[in-house]
Amino acid sequence: MALSGVEIFKYLPKTNCKKCGHPTCLAFAMKLAAKQASLDSCPDASDDAKKVLGEASAPPIRGITLGTGDKAVKVGEEICLFRHEKKFFNPNIFAVAIKASEAGAEAAKKIEAVKASEIDRVGQKLRVDAIAVTDEGGDAAKFASVVKQVVDGAPGVPVILVSKNPAVIEAGIVHCADKKPLIYAATAENADAMAKIAKAKKASLAVSADGLDALTALSEKVKALGVDDLVLDSGARKAKDMIEHYTIIRRAAIKKNFKPLGYPIISFAGRDNTVAETMVAAIGTMKYASIIILNSVEKWKMLALLSLRQNIYTDPQVPMQVAQNVYKVGDAKPNSPLLITTNFSLSYFIVRGEVENSKVPSWLAVMDNEGLSVLTAWAAGKFTASKIAQFITDSGVDKNVSHKELIIPGYVAILSGALEEKLPGWKITVGPREANQLPTFLKGRG
Amino acid sequence: MALTIPKETYSGKIYNVQVGTGAKAVTIGGASALPYLGFEGTFPHRPAVALEIMDIAPDDWPETVKKAVGGVASSPVQWAKFCQQNGADMVALRLMGTHPDQKNKSAEEAAKTAAEVAAAIDIPLIILGSGQAEKDSQVIQAAAAATRGKNCAIGKALEENYKTMAAAAMANDHKLIAMSQLDVNLAKQLNILLTQMGFDKERIIMDPMSSALGYGLEYTYSVMERIRLAALMQNDPMMQTPVVCDIGANVWKVKETMAPESEVSEWGSLEDRALAWEAVTASAMIASGADMLIMRHPGAAAKVKELISELM
Amino acid sequence: MIVIGEKISVMAKKVREALTNRDAKPLQELAVAQAKAGAHFIDVSIGPAEDNGPQLMDWAVKVVQEVVQKPLCLDTTNIKAMEAGVKAHNNQWGSPLINSTSNEPERFPMMALAGKYNAKVIALTLGKGGLPADAEDRCVIASEIMGRGAEYGVPMENIILDPLILQICTMQDQGRQAIRAVRMFKDLNDPPMQSVVGLSNISNGAPKEVRGIINRNFFALLIDAGLTAAIIDPLDKDMMDTLKTVEMINGKTMYAHSYLDM
Repeated sequence: MALSGVEIFKYLPKTNCKKCGHPTCLAFAMKLAAKQASLDSCPDASDDAKKVLGEASAPPIRGITLGTGDKAVKVGEEICLFRHEKKFFNPNIFAVAIKASEAGAEAAKKIEAVKASEIDRVGQKLRVDAIAVTDEGGDAAKFASVVKQVVDGAPGVPVILVSKNPAVIEAGIVHCADKKPLIYAATAENADAMAKIAKAKKASLAVSADGLDALTALSEKVKALGVDDLVLDSGARKAKDMIEHYTIIRRAAIKKNFKPLGYPIISFAGRDNTVAETMVAAIGTMKYASIIILNSVEKWKMLALLSLRQNIYTDPQVPMQVAQNVYKVGDAKPNSPLLITTNFSLSYFIVRGEVENSKVPSWLAVMDNEGLSVLTAWAAGKFTASKIAQFITDSGVDKNVSHKELIIPGYVAILSGALEEKLPGWKITVGPREANQLPTFLKGRG
Repeated sequence: MALTIPKETYSGKIYNVQVGTGAKAVTIGGASALPYLGFEGTFPHRPAVALEIMDIAPDDWPETVKKAVGGVASSPVQWAKFCQQNGADMVALRLMGTHPDQKNKSAEEAAKTAAEVAAAIDIPLIILGSGQAEKDSQVIQAAAAATRGKNCAIGKALEENYKTMAAAAMANDHKLIAMSQLDVNLAKQLNILLTQMGFDKERIIMDPMSSALGYGLEYTYSVMERIRLAALMQNDPMMQTPVVCDIGANVWKVKETMAPESEVSEWGSLEDRALAWEAVTASAMIASGADMLIMRHPGAAAKVKELISELM
Repeated sequence: MIVIGEKISVMAKKVREALTNRDAKPLQELAVAQAKAGAHFIDVSIGPAEDNGPQLMDWAVKVVQEVVQKPLCLDTTNIKAMEAGVKAHNNQWGSPLINSTSNEPERFPMMALAGKYNAKVIALTLGKGGLPADAEDRCVIASEIMGRGAEYGVPMENIILDPLILQICTMQDQGRQAIRAVRMFKDLNDPPMQSVVGLSNISNGAPKEVRGIINRNFFALLIDAGLTAAIIDPLDKDMMDTLKTVEMINGKTMYAHSYLDM
């Protein structure tokens, strides 16, 4: 049974020492109740508190960190099934598989691809997150050599060690033992040996079984052997099985607080056909996979998958924002009309689309209002006359346009007077309230 | 601890809607659970994949997709046949030439094209206006009359023109695509308005307004999830119509489907990237409940059909 | 229930003109009518008031308190104007209510003002970086604001938490979350934290014919959840009757056939 913030608060030291990073114990308790913090952050929690709160304050899906340093990635700690309910917190990671047989030149090519994979998208830096060294045929020495090649070639990139043979894992993990790798995988046959390695090397351990019942039993077994950082593989490889298994795992964890399945999911999307692989990986991204292993990471493929991940993991409460700028729509000339709107991305996309539809080339000034829509931004004091005036003055728009007329959204018609005062020499024109009236408005200006 | 499969109990189900006639008619809808959760519901019909054609040459489509439809695009009839031969479940004819800013073709011209296309194929036909609400009312009325008996899906009915659009569908026994602007509440409102004027709710196909990967895709995705949740969990009769996603027009105007590798080397091959852009956008729509997709690239459509097979 | 009369608002054209022209009469008429209808506070909303904010607020506070013996709820995002208003306020009938602080850094000075002048303050449970998704998020923000209040020396009974009412027509679930938050806020302190809402925002964007019924029923649910103050239109008889009826049913007032007339 989940405890409320206030109930949790009763067990905290109430010293407001801020060591947990929160201003007060009450604030920390609220974060714990919202499953957005872990009791581990409180250095002074009593044993009593740990006992009572341990279970209640543990996130329904355990957070697992792969790697160390600035390229470390955390997955798990999700709390909902649908992104609109709250949000998806820790983006899934994409890892490329390097087979032992690819040791040498092939592996080097993939390592380079990973290193060169970083792209900048809407202000975020995105890249291939990890490398999965994959055993074939149980050649421990060869496997170890590829692990070493990866660790040396792509320093800091988290490593996943893929083999069901404990001897192979043991040989490979030597090269990344202190770097928090993920071992894949413990099975019913090798669980004891794998758990022993994971414990000794403080590695995370994936458990792999055929189907959800077997997975539940294995997860419990490995946990009982003393490994806490687990990752789940139910054996699903077909898109349909993936959606079904992953949904059941997520539901059991979040809605039933079913601990044996309260871990991140690892998904093998590998296909011979790279487009098919892209689409299956897309399904995994949307449907609860946390670690997705790919056979290849072509630039175009990663652009598509990373964009999808960014879309899906966007906080629905924080609308995606467009960078503040004066955008050229169509073949705008110095005498083309100049419109202004806020940087709420939906406002921007719709306004831009309607301006395009009008076929009247225009300049679209997009002002940073923290992604609020026009009316909300105005009411919050973020789209006021002086802020617009300041933006127009600082934007350097006079380099683009030869006239001094600014079209403002109809919703803030109230600002036109004050704007003309604050932008001497400018004519302020009130545009339509709704974007779909823009084509008529723009064309009507002749 | 033994796992008890946490199943949802759904009280609603998506309507079955048939488009087209004869042996090649296609039924969509019918789902009784959230997308592809076979352990708690059934999915009697595959999502249908329509390929888009136009009544004018696709001059403003990016090269990659223009090349993929080959040299047939100058004739709507040839183009439609090409789609049928290339695995499309349906053909979607967009009467873009009627737009006042395009060729401003008359409703009669458009109707003639629609009739010719309908006669040339035996798979179902979707007939869409140019998106100009006022002109579409006339164009679709004429096109609907000219294709009477073909059981097409016509659209798009918008808040501004739904009355004439619905009348055209009713008078000529077509199905109606009703589009609202990316808002679950407005989607419900439009369906209420349609049923209030006597239009059968089981003849509506809902278009939540699509968006392209990287360009607000998450809005469409969540609106679709919420539509499906309301339909199934709340048993909301206004949300139980099948959903169509008109993605081609959105996908093939973003930079990712147009910029050559020489301009953006970090984005990789344009051909692969552009095809993947439409395919991944489609995957997201499928995963969130699309019953029908309108796409442009035959190669991407083929890949989407493979994914659908894997999901069924 | 503390009723805060909302009519003197810059969003209304009549008020906007009166403020621009320094025309006291419309403001005074609205103040008197609301006080008579049962308002405990009169809200004075002057908007962002970028130009001459302090003078405008000073003037507005004085002309309103000239005609009503009530404390005022001062509403502006302009810090200097707020301070001028608090200074001009006649505390004989109670201290002023600052509308509002929040968890956004630019609103922290409002909390500082509340500490400095021993004023009450509305704390909007809104932080940097997007809207709170649910009641839990609102409680996290509330507890952070309360921590800040303690730093500025504002006693907890002077902080009135606002769960942030959003439009039901675009954010349906947020109405329910606000009700849950009002219920949860009470537990954040002993004695319980107070709460306030700007009620009518719930129906913003909805057609006129459904706004009233949404407002009144939402109000009833909030009262039941333990709401302690509301920014509403006291001249709306249906609204005030809803308040009286819910309080009567909940045993807060005694029934009589003519209870609505009281």
